[in-house]
Amino acid sequence: MKMRSRILAVAALAAGLVVAVPGVASASGESVGVCIVESPAGEEIVGLTAEELEEEQVEALGEAADECVEAPNPVVPEINELIWGGIFFLIVLVGLMKFAVPALKKGMADREERIRDDLEQAEKAKVDGQEQLSSYEQQLADAREEAARIIEEARASADGVRQELIAQAEQDAAGVRERANVDIAAATERATSDLQAQVGELAIELAEKVVEHSLDHDTQTALIENYINEVGSSSE
Amino acid sequence: MPAALAAFEFPPVSHLFEWPVVILDGTPLAINKTVVLTGAAALLTIGFFVLGSRKRALVPSGFQNLAESSYELVEENIAVEVMGAEDGKRWTPFLTSLFFFIFFMNIFEVIPGIQFPPTSRIAIPALLAIIVWLMMIFLGMKTQGVGGYFKSSLFPPGVPKVLYLLVTPIEFISTFLVRPFSHAVRLFANMMAGHILLTTFALLSAALWLGKWNAIFLPLPVVGGAAMTGFEVLVAVLQAYIFTILTAVYIGGSLHPEH
Repeated sequence: MKMRSRILAVAALAAGLVVAVPGVASASGESVGVCIVESPAGEEIVGLTAEELEEEQVEALGEAADECVEAPNPVVPEINELIWGGIFFLIVLVGLMKFAVPALKKGMADREERIRDDLEQAEKAKVDGQEQLSSYEQQLADAREEAARIIEEARASADGVRQELIAQAEQDAAGVRERANVDIAAATERATSDLQAQVGELAIELAEKVVEHSLDHDTQTALIENYINEVGSSSE
Repeated sequence: MPAALAAFEFPPVSHLFEWPVVILDGTPLAINKTVVLTGAAALLTIGFFVLGSRKRALVPSGFQNLAESSYELVEENIAVEVMGAEDGKRWTPFLTSLFFFIFFMNIFEVIPGIQFPPTSRIAIPALLAIIVWLMMIFLGMKTQGVGGYFKSSLFPPGVPKVLYLLVTPIEFISTFLVRPFSHAVRLFANMMAGHILLTTFALLSAALWLGKWNAIFLPLPVVGGAAMTGFEVLVAVLQAYIFTILTAVYIGGSLHPEH
Protein backbone atom coordinates (compact mmCIF):
# COMPACT_ATOMS: atom_id res chain seq x y z
CA MET A 1 0.00 0.00 0.00
CA LYS A 2 2.84 2.36 0.90
CA MET A 3 4.67 1.41 -2.29
CA ARG A 4 1.51 1.99 -4.26
CA SER A 5 0.94 5.51 -2.98
CA ARG A 6 4.62 6.30 -3.59
CA ILE A 7 4.29 5.17 -7.19
CA LEU A 8 1.12 7.17 -7.61
CA ALA A 9 2.83 10.25 -6.19
CA VAL A 10 5.72 9.86 -8.63
CA ALA A 11 3.26 9.44 -11.48
CA ALA A 12 1.34 12.56 -10.44
CA LEU A 13 4.58 14.55 -10.20
CA ALA A 14 5.67 13.35 -13.63
CA ALA A 15 2.30 14.24 -15.11
CA GLY A 16 2.49 17.71 -13.59
CA LEU A 17 5.98 18.17 -14.98
CA VAL A 18 4.85 17.03 -18.40
CA VAL A 19 2.03 19.55 -18.49
CA ALA A 20 3.74 22.48 -16.82
CA VAL A 21 7.37 22.53 -17.91
CA PRO A 22 7.46 22.56 -21.69
CA GLY A 23 4.75 25.17 -22.08
CA VAL A 24 2.42 25.41 -25.02
CA ALA A 25 3.24 24.40 -28.56
CA SER A 26 3.42 27.86 -30.02
CA ALA A 27 6.09 28.86 -27.54
CA SER A 28 8.70 27.16 -29.64
CA GLY A 29 7.97 28.89 -32.91
CA GLU A 30 7.84 32.45 -34.07
CA SER A 31 5.95 33.90 -36.95
CA VAL A 32 7.91 34.32 -40.17
CA GLY A 33 7.66 38.11 -40.04
CA VAL A 34 9.27 38.46 -36.62
CA CYS A 35 11.99 36.08 -37.70
CA ILE A 36 12.87 38.16 -40.74
CA VAL A 37 13.02 41.38 -38.76
CA GLU A 38 15.28 39.77 -36.19
CA SER A 39 17.62 38.23 -38.76
CA PRO A 40 20.72 40.25 -39.85
CA ALA A 41 19.34 40.72 -43.33
CA GLY A 42 16.01 41.82 -41.91
CA GLU A 43 17.48 44.54 -39.75
CA GLU A 44 19.04 46.20 -42.75
CA ILE A 45 15.74 46.22 -44.52
CA VAL A 46 13.59 47.66 -41.79
CA GLY A 47 12.96 51.37 -42.26
CA LEU A 48 13.81 51.56 -45.94
CA THR A 49 11.29 52.73 -48.51
CA ALA A 50 10.40 50.68 -51.50
CA GLU A 51 12.73 52.64 -53.81
CA GLU A 52 15.67 52.20 -51.50
CA LEU A 53 15.33 48.45 -51.63
CA GLU A 54 18.01 47.39 -54.01
CA GLU A 55 18.10 44.13 -55.79
CA GLU A 56 20.63 42.47 -53.50
CA GLN A 57 18.68 43.51 -50.46
CA VAL A 58 15.59 41.90 -51.96
CA GLU A 59 17.64 38.76 -52.46
CA ALA A 60 18.85 38.88 -48.86
CA LEU A 61 15.27 39.26 -47.71
CA GLY A 62 14.28 36.22 -49.76
CA GLU A 63 17.09 34.16 -48.25
CA ALA A 64 16.18 35.24 -44.74
CA ALA A 65 12.56 34.32 -45.38
CA ASP A 66 13.58 30.93 -46.79
CA GLU A 67 15.69 30.29 -43.73
CA CYS A 68 12.84 31.20 -41.43
CA VAL A 69 10.23 29.16 -43.26
CA GLU A 70 12.43 26.11 -43.71
CA ALA A 71 11.49 23.67 -40.99
CA PRO A 72 13.83 21.08 -39.57
CA ASN A 73 13.52 17.87 -41.55
CA PRO A 74 11.00 15.76 -39.63
CA VAL A 75 12.50 12.49 -40.91
CA VAL A 76 15.91 13.20 -39.37
CA PRO A 77 15.93 12.03 -35.74
CA GLU A 78 17.19 14.34 -33.02
CA ILE A 79 20.18 12.92 -31.21
CA ASN A 80 18.88 13.77 -27.72
CA GLU A 81 15.58 12.03 -28.40
CA LEU A 82 17.41 8.95 -29.65
CA ILE A 83 19.60 8.79 -26.55
CA TRP A 84 16.78 9.38 -24.08
CA GLY A 85 14.49 7.03 -26.00
CA GLY A 86 17.11 4.30 -25.81
CA ILE A 87 17.62 4.85 -22.09
CA PHE A 88 13.89 4.82 -21.37
CA PHE A 89 13.24 1.75 -23.49
CA LEU A 90 16.07 -0.04 -21.70
CA ILE A 91 14.51 0.93 -18.37
CA VAL A 92 11.14 -0.41 -19.52
CA LEU A 93 12.71 -3.67 -20.70
CA VAL A 94 14.64 -4.22 -17.47
CA GLY A 95 11.72 -3.15 -15.27
CA LEU A 96 9.27 -5.44 -17.00
CA MET A 97 11.41 -8.43 -17.84
CA LYS A 98 13.31 -8.57 -14.54
CA PHE A 99 10.64 -7.53 -12.06
CA ALA A 100 7.06 -7.06 -13.15
CA VAL A 101 6.57 -9.94 -15.57
CA PRO A 102 8.12 -12.67 -13.39
CA ALA A 103 5.95 -11.54 -10.46
CA LEU A 104 2.90 -11.36 -12.70
CA LYS A 105 3.53 -14.78 -14.19
CA LYS A 106 4.20 -16.28 -10.78
CA GLY A 107 0.87 -14.96 -9.55
CA MET A 108 -0.89 -16.37 -12.58
CA ALA A 109 0.88 -19.73 -12.33
CA ASP A 110 0.07 -19.95 -8.61
CA ARG A 111 -3.57 -19.29 -9.31
CA GLU A 112 -3.59 -21.81 -12.15
CA GLU A 113 -2.05 -24.43 -9.86
CA ARG A 114 -4.46 -23.62 -7.07
CA ILE A 115 -7.45 -23.91 -9.38
CA ARG A 116 -6.15 -27.18 -10.80
CA ASP A 117 -5.64 -28.56 -7.28
CA ASP A 118 -9.10 -27.46 -6.26
CA LEU A 119 -10.64 -29.10 -9.31
CA GLU A 120 -8.72 -32.29 -8.73
CA GLN A 121 -9.80 -32.35 -5.11
CA ALA A 122 -13.39 -31.74 -6.09
CA GLU A 123 -13.18 -34.56 -8.60
CA LYS A 124 -11.67 -36.84 -5.97
CA ALA A 125 -14.34 -35.88 -3.44
CA LYS A 126 -16.99 -36.58 -6.03
CA VAL A 127 -15.60 -40.02 -6.81
CA ASP A 128 -15.26 -40.79 -3.10
CA GLY A 129 -18.81 -39.67 -2.48
CA GLN A 130 -20.08 -41.81 -5.30
CA GLU A 131 -18.16 -44.77 -3.99
CA GLN A 132 -19.59 -44.22 -0.55
CA LEU A 133 -23.07 -43.79 -1.95
CA SER A 134 -22.89 -47.04 -3.90
CA SER A 135 -21.49 -48.77 -0.84
CA TYR A 136 -24.38 -47.46 1.24
CA GLU A 137 -26.83 -48.49 -1.43
CA GLN A 138 -25.29 -51.95 -1.46
CA GLN A 139 -25.59 -52.14 2.30
CA LEU A 140 -29.16 -50.97 2.13
CA ALA A 141 -30.01 -53.59 -0.48
CA ASP A 142 -28.32 -56.26 1.64
CA ALA A 143 -30.30 -55.15 4.67
CA ARG A 144 -33.54 -55.23 2.73
CA GLU A 145 -32.77 -58.69 1.47
CA GLU A 146 -31.91 -59.79 4.99
CA ALA A 147 -35.15 -58.36 6.33
CA ALA A 148 -37.16 -60.08 3.62
CA ARG A 149 -35.39 -63.32 4.37
CA ILE A 150 -36.10 -63.00 8.10
CA ILE A 151 -39.76 -62.26 7.46
CA GLU A 152 -39.99 -65.21 5.11
CA GLU A 153 -38.37 -67.43 7.69
CA ALA A 154 -40.69 -66.19 10.40
CA ARG A 155 -43.66 -66.82 8.20
CA ALA A 156 -42.45 -70.31 7.40
CA SER A 157 -41.81 -71.12 11.03
CA ALA A 158 -45.18 -69.66 12.04
CA ASP A 159 -46.80 -71.87 9.43
CA GLY A 160 -45.01 -74.85 10.85
CA VAL A 161 -46.07 -74.01 14.36
CA ARG A 162 -49.65 -73.61 13.21
CA GLN A 163 -49.66 -76.93 11.42
CA GLU A 164 -48.17 -78.54 14.47
CA LEU A 165 -50.72 -76.95 16.76
CA ILE A 166 -53.58 -77.97 14.51
CA ALA A 167 -52.26 -81.51 14.31
CA GLN A 168 -51.84 -81.59 18.07
CA ALA A 169 -55.34 -80.25 18.58
CA GLU A 170 -56.76 -82.74 16.18
CA GLN A 171 -54.91 -85.50 17.96
CA ASP A 172 -56.15 -84.26 21.35
CA ALA A 173 -59.68 -84.09 20.06
CA ALA A 174 -59.41 -87.60 18.71
CA GLY A 175 -58.16 -88.78 22.12
CA VAL A 176 -61.02 -87.09 23.91
CA ARG A 177 -63.53 -88.57 21.51
CA GLU A 178 -62.03 -91.99 21.92
CA ARG A 179 -62.21 -91.79 25.71
CA ALA A 180 -65.76 -90.51 25.54
CA ASN A 181 -66.71 -93.42 23.33
CA VAL A 182 -65.15 -95.88 25.74
CA ASP A 183 -66.91 -94.22 28.70
CA ILE A 184 -70.20 -94.29 26.88
CA ALA A 185 -69.73 -97.92 26.01
CA ALA A 186 -68.90 -98.78 29.62
CA ALA A 187 -71.85 -96.78 30.94
CA THR A 188 -74.15 -98.49 28.47
CA GLU A 189 -72.84 -101.86 29.54
CA ARG A 190 -73.33 -101.07 33.19
CA ALA A 191 -76.75 -99.60 32.65
CA THR A 192 -77.78 -102.60 30.61
CA SER A 193 -76.66 -105.05 33.27
CA ASP A 194 -78.26 -102.96 36.05
CA LEU A 195 -81.43 -102.76 34.05
CA GLN A 196 -81.39 -106.53 33.48
CA ALA A 197 -81.02 -107.16 37.21
CA GLN A 198 -83.70 -104.63 38.16
CA VAL A 199 -86.12 -105.80 35.52
CA GLY A 200 -85.63 -109.37 36.74
CA GLU A 201 -86.23 -108.41 40.33
CA LEU A 202 -89.16 -106.25 39.37
CA ALA A 203 -90.71 -109.01 37.35
CA ILE A 204 -90.26 -111.50 40.17
CA GLU A 205 -91.81 -109.15 42.71
CA LEU A 206 -94.63 -108.55 40.34
CA ALA A 207 -95.09 -112.22 39.66
CA GLU A 208 -94.91 -113.09 43.36
CA LYS A 209 -97.57 -110.52 44.05
CA VAL A 210 -99.64 -111.90 41.29
CA VAL A 211 -99.13 -115.57 41.96
CA GLU A 212 -98.46 -115.42 45.71
CA HIS A 213 -96.06 -118.15 46.50
CA SER A 214 -97.34 -120.46 43.77
CA LEU A 215 -93.90 -120.84 42.56
CA ASP A 216 -90.74 -120.96 44.62
CA HIS A 217 -88.22 -118.25 44.14
CA ASP A 218 -85.51 -120.24 42.41
CA THR A 219 -87.75 -121.71 39.76
CA GLN A 220 -89.16 -118.32 38.92
CA THR A 221 -85.73 -116.72 38.58
CA ALA A 222 -84.62 -119.49 36.24
CA LEU A 223 -87.71 -119.05 34.13
CA ILE A 224 -87.23 -115.30 33.85
CA GLU A 225 -83.54 -115.53 32.96
CA ASN A 226 -84.30 -117.99 30.24
CA TYR A 227 -86.87 -115.71 28.90
CA ILE A 228 -84.57 -112.69 28.92
CA ASN A 229 -81.80 -114.64 27.23
CA GLU A 230 -84.23 -115.68 24.57
CA VAL A 231 -85.30 -112.12 24.11
CA GLY A 232 -81.66 -110.92 24.15
CA SER A 233 -80.49 -113.43 21.54
CA SER A 234 -83.44 -112.81 19.30
CA SER A 235 -82.91 -109.07 19.53
CA GLU A 236 -79.20 -109.31 18.50
CA MET B 1 -11.26 37.01 -46.78
CA PRO B 2 -13.67 37.44 -43.85
CA ALA B 3 -12.21 39.20 -40.86
CA ALA B 4 -12.60 36.20 -38.61
CA LEU B 5 -10.61 33.96 -40.89
CA ALA B 6 -7.98 36.62 -41.52
CA ALA B 7 -6.92 36.11 -37.92
CA PHE B 8 -6.59 32.41 -38.56
CA GLU B 9 -2.96 31.77 -39.23
CA PHE B 10 -1.98 28.15 -39.38
CA PRO B 11 1.48 27.78 -37.85
CA PRO B 12 4.28 26.06 -39.78
CA VAL B 13 4.13 22.34 -39.21
CA SER B 14 7.45 22.38 -37.42
CA HIS B 15 5.90 24.52 -34.70
CA LEU B 16 3.65 21.59 -33.82
CA PHE B 17 6.54 19.24 -33.29
CA GLU B 18 9.61 21.26 -32.25
CA TRP B 19 9.73 21.89 -28.53
CA PRO B 20 11.95 24.30 -26.62
CA VAL B 21 14.67 22.67 -24.58
CA VAL B 22 14.06 22.87 -20.84
CA ILE B 23 17.45 21.93 -19.45
CA LEU B 24 20.82 20.70 -20.70
CA ASP B 25 20.47 22.86 -23.83
CA GLY B 26 23.16 22.29 -26.41
CA THR B 27 24.18 18.89 -25.07
CA PRO B 28 23.18 15.51 -26.53
CA LEU B 29 21.11 14.99 -23.38
CA ALA B 30 18.95 18.07 -23.90
CA ILE B 31 15.50 17.56 -22.38
CA ASN B 32 12.35 18.88 -24.04
CA LYS B 33 8.69 17.90 -23.93
CA THR B 34 9.27 14.91 -26.21
CA VAL B 35 11.91 13.50 -23.87
CA VAL B 36 9.80 14.14 -20.76
CA LEU B 37 6.82 12.38 -22.34
CA THR B 38 8.96 9.43 -23.42
CA GLY B 39 10.14 9.10 -19.82
CA ALA B 40 6.57 9.42 -18.56
CA ALA B 41 5.49 6.61 -20.90
CA ALA B 42 8.33 4.44 -19.60
CA LEU B 43 7.29 5.15 -16.00
CA LEU B 44 3.65 4.44 -16.78
CA THR B 45 4.53 1.14 -18.45
CA ILE B 46 6.61 -0.03 -15.50
CA GLY B 47 4.18 1.38 -12.92
CA PHE B 48 1.25 -0.33 -14.58
CA PHE B 49 2.82 -3.76 -14.46
CA VAL B 50 4.53 -3.34 -11.09
CA LEU B 51 1.27 -2.26 -9.45
CA GLY B 52 -0.53 -5.05 -11.27
CA SER B 53 1.84 -7.74 -10.05
CA ARG B 54 2.37 -6.63 -6.44
CA LYS B 55 -0.66 -8.01 -4.64
CA ARG B 56 -1.01 -11.41 -6.29
CA ALA B 57 -4.49 -11.95 -4.91
CA LEU B 58 -6.02 -15.28 -5.76
CA VAL B 59 -9.06 -13.59 -7.23
CA PRO B 60 -7.61 -10.71 -9.24
CA SER B 61 -9.23 -7.30 -9.19
CA GLY B 62 -8.50 -3.75 -10.30
CA PHE B 63 -4.95 -3.13 -11.45
CA GLN B 64 -3.97 -6.75 -11.08
CA ASN B 65 -6.78 -7.88 -13.32
CA LEU B 66 -5.98 -5.21 -15.89
CA ALA B 67 -2.27 -5.98 -15.92
CA GLU B 68 -2.83 -9.72 -16.18
CA SER B 69 -5.39 -9.31 -18.95
CA SER B 70 -3.03 -6.96 -20.80
CA TYR B 71 -0.18 -9.41 -20.54
CA GLU B 72 -2.40 -12.23 -21.73
CA LEU B 73 -3.69 -10.07 -24.57
CA VAL B 74 -0.16 -9.65 -25.92
CA GLU B 75 0.70 -13.26 -25.21
CA GLU B 76 -2.35 -14.80 -26.86
CA ASN B 77 -3.17 -12.36 -29.65
CA ILE B 78 0.32 -11.37 -30.73
CA ALA B 79 3.12 -13.58 -29.46
CA VAL B 80 1.64 -17.08 -29.51
CA GLU B 81 -0.50 -16.34 -32.56
CA VAL B 82 2.50 -15.27 -34.64
CA MET B 83 5.47 -17.12 -33.17
CA GLY B 84 3.90 -20.33 -31.89
CA ALA B 85 3.42 -21.41 -28.29
CA GLU B 86 7.02 -21.91 -27.21
CA ASP B 87 8.75 -18.91 -28.79
CA GLY B 88 5.65 -16.81 -28.23
CA LYS B 89 5.70 -17.34 -24.47
CA ARG B 90 9.44 -16.61 -24.34
CA TRP B 91 9.12 -13.37 -26.30
CA THR B 92 5.97 -12.08 -24.61
CA PRO B 93 7.81 -9.94 -22.01
CA PHE B 94 9.73 -8.12 -24.75
CA LEU B 95 6.64 -7.68 -26.92
CA THR B 96 4.60 -6.51 -23.92
CA SER B 97 7.25 -3.90 -23.09
CA LEU B 98 7.23 -2.70 -26.68
CA PHE B 99 3.45 -2.61 -26.99
CA PHE B 100 2.74 -0.69 -23.80
CA PHE B 101 5.71 1.67 -24.15
CA ILE B 102 4.46 2.65 -27.61
CA PHE B 103 0.83 2.69 -26.52
CA PHE B 104 1.45 5.06 -23.60
CA MET B 105 3.48 7.38 -25.88
CA ASN B 106 0.73 7.29 -28.51
CA ILE B 107 -2.10 7.92 -26.09
CA PHE B 108 -0.51 11.19 -24.91
CA GLU B 109 -1.84 12.52 -28.22
CA VAL B 110 -5.35 12.78 -26.76
CA ILE B 111 -4.66 13.40 -23.05
CA PRO B 112 -5.90 16.93 -22.30
CA GLY B 113 -3.06 19.26 -21.34
CA ILE B 114 -0.44 17.03 -22.90
CA GLN B 115 -1.78 16.32 -26.37
CA PHE B 116 1.46 15.35 -28.00
CA PRO B 117 2.68 11.86 -28.85
CA PRO B 118 6.49 11.45 -28.71
CA THR B 119 6.06 8.84 -31.44
CA SER B 120 5.11 11.64 -33.85
CA ARG B 121 8.81 12.44 -33.88
CA ILE B 122 10.90 10.05 -35.97
CA ALA B 123 13.49 9.37 -33.26
CA ILE B 124 11.63 6.83 -31.11
CA PRO B 125 10.00 4.83 -33.94
CA ALA B 126 13.33 4.75 -35.79
CA LEU B 127 15.19 3.68 -32.68
CA LEU B 128 12.73 0.88 -31.90
CA ALA B 129 12.58 -0.25 -35.54
CA ILE B 130 16.38 -0.40 -35.74
CA ILE B 131 16.57 -2.35 -32.47
CA VAL B 132 14.05 -4.85 -33.87
CA TRP B 133 15.87 -4.98 -37.20
CA LEU B 134 19.23 -5.71 -35.51
CA MET B 135 17.60 -8.37 -33.32
CA MET B 136 16.02 -9.93 -36.38
CA ILE B 137 19.37 -10.21 -38.18
CA PHE B 138 21.26 -11.31 -35.06
CA LEU B 139 18.73 -14.00 -34.12
CA GLY B 140 18.53 -15.20 -37.72
CA MET B 141 22.30 -15.64 -37.86
CA LYS B 142 22.35 -17.21 -34.41
CA THR B 143 19.68 -19.84 -35.08
CA GLN B 144 20.43 -20.58 -38.75
CA GLY B 145 24.07 -19.64 -39.06
CA VAL B 146 25.29 -16.66 -41.10
CA GLY B 147 25.15 -18.45 -44.46
CA GLY B 148 21.91 -20.24 -43.64
CA TYR B 149 20.19 -17.04 -42.64
CA PHE B 150 21.09 -15.14 -45.78
CA LYS B 151 20.30 -18.17 -47.91
CA SER B 152 16.83 -18.58 -46.38
CA SER B 153 16.03 -14.87 -46.55
CA LEU B 154 17.52 -14.07 -49.97
CA PHE B 155 16.93 -17.37 -51.79
CA PRO B 156 13.42 -18.47 -50.82
CA PRO B 157 12.94 -22.19 -51.60
CA GLY B 158 10.63 -23.36 -54.35
CA VAL B 159 11.59 -20.67 -56.85
CA PRO B 160 13.08 -21.60 -60.28
CA LYS B 161 16.82 -20.85 -60.27
CA VAL B 162 16.64 -18.28 -63.07
CA LEU B 163 14.15 -16.20 -61.11
CA TYR B 164 16.68 -15.68 -58.32
CA LEU B 165 18.17 -13.01 -60.60
CA LEU B 166 14.96 -11.10 -59.95
CA VAL B 167 13.86 -12.40 -56.55
CA THR B 168 17.12 -12.03 -54.65
CA PRO B 169 17.56 -8.26 -55.16
CA ILE B 170 13.90 -7.72 -54.35
CA GLU B 171 14.14 -9.80 -51.20
CA PHE B 172 17.31 -7.98 -50.17
CA ILE B 173 15.75 -4.57 -50.61
CA SER B 174 12.48 -5.49 -48.97
CA THR B 175 13.93 -7.39 -46.00
CA PHE B 176 17.07 -5.47 -45.18
CA LEU B 177 16.41 -1.95 -46.42
CA VAL B 178 12.69 -1.24 -46.66
CA ARG B 179 11.59 -3.29 -43.67
CA PRO B 180 13.05 -1.12 -40.85
CA PHE B 181 12.14 2.03 -42.75
CA SER B 182 8.49 1.09 -43.26
CA HIS B 183 8.32 -0.29 -39.73
CA ALA B 184 9.39 3.07 -38.29
CA VAL B 185 7.60 5.36 -40.73
CA ARG B 186 4.25 3.55 -40.36
CA LEU B 187 4.12 4.45 -36.68
CA PHE B 188 5.74 7.87 -36.99
CA ALA B 189 3.65 9.09 -39.93
CA ASN B 190 0.37 7.90 -38.43
CA MET B 191 1.02 9.70 -35.18
CA MET B 192 2.31 12.82 -36.91
CA ALA B 193 -0.74 12.96 -39.15
CA GLY B 194 -3.01 12.43 -36.17
CA HIS B 195 -1.40 15.28 -34.28
CA ILE B 196 -1.72 17.65 -37.25
CA LEU B 197 -5.33 16.59 -37.70
CA LEU B 198 -6.27 17.29 -34.08
CA THR B 199 -4.37 20.58 -34.11
CA THR B 200 -6.22 21.65 -37.24
CA PHE B 201 -9.61 21.03 -35.67
CA ALA B 202 -8.58 22.75 -32.45
CA LEU B 203 -7.22 25.85 -34.24
CA LEU B 204 -10.29 26.05 -36.46
CA SER B 205 -12.53 25.86 -33.40
CA ALA B 206 -10.53 28.60 -31.68
CA ALA B 207 -10.66 30.87 -34.73
CA LEU B 208 -14.41 30.47 -35.11
CA TRP B 209 -14.92 31.09 -31.40
CA LEU B 210 -13.25 34.47 -31.81
CA GLY B 211 -15.13 35.21 -35.02
CA LYS B 212 -18.48 37.04 -35.13
CA TRP B 213 -21.29 35.57 -37.20
CA ASN B 214 -18.96 32.80 -38.34
CA ALA B 215 -19.38 31.31 -34.87
CA ILE B 216 -22.47 29.52 -36.18
CA PHE B 217 -20.05 27.15 -37.93
CA LEU B 218 -18.29 26.42 -34.64
CA PRO B 219 -20.11 23.11 -34.06
CA LEU B 220 -18.54 21.65 -37.21
CA PRO B 221 -14.89 21.65 -36.13
CA VAL B 222 -15.85 21.00 -32.50
CA VAL B 223 -17.81 17.87 -33.37
CA GLY B 224 -15.19 16.90 -35.92
CA GLY B 225 -12.43 17.37 -33.35
CA ALA B 226 -14.26 15.25 -30.80
CA ALA B 227 -14.84 12.51 -33.37
CA MET B 228 -11.21 12.69 -34.49
CA THR B 229 -10.04 12.44 -30.87
CA GLY B 230 -11.97 9.19 -30.55
CA PHE B 231 -10.52 8.03 -33.83
CA GLU B 232 -7.01 8.86 -32.64
CA VAL B 233 -7.52 6.73 -29.53
CA LEU B 234 -8.19 3.86 -31.91
CA VAL B 235 -5.11 4.79 -33.96
CA ALA B 236 -2.97 4.92 -30.81
CA VAL B 237 -3.94 1.34 -29.91
CA LEU B 238 -3.84 0.09 -33.46
CA GLN B 239 -0.39 1.48 -34.30
CA ALA B 240 1.10 0.06 -31.09
CA TYR B 241 -0.51 -3.26 -31.98
CA ILE B 242 0.75 -3.19 -35.57
CA PHE B 243 4.28 -2.24 -34.55
CA THR B 244 4.34 -5.07 -32.02
CA ILE B 245 2.81 -7.71 -34.29
CA LEU B 246 5.28 -6.83 -37.06
CA THR B 247 8.09 -7.18 -34.53
CA ALA B 248 6.76 -10.63 -33.68
CA VAL B 249 6.57 -11.51 -37.38
CA TYR B 250 10.13 -10.35 -38.08
CA ILE B 251 11.68 -12.06 -35.07
CA GLY B 252 9.55 -15.18 -35.53
CA GLY B 253 10.68 -15.33 -39.16
CA SER B 254 14.29 -15.33 -38.05
CA LEU B 255 13.70 -18.08 -35.50
CA HIS B 256 11.70 -20.27 -37.89
CA PRO B 257 12.59 -19.60 -41.53
CA GLU B 258 10.21 -22.27 -42.81
CA HIS B 259 7.16 -20.30 -41.76
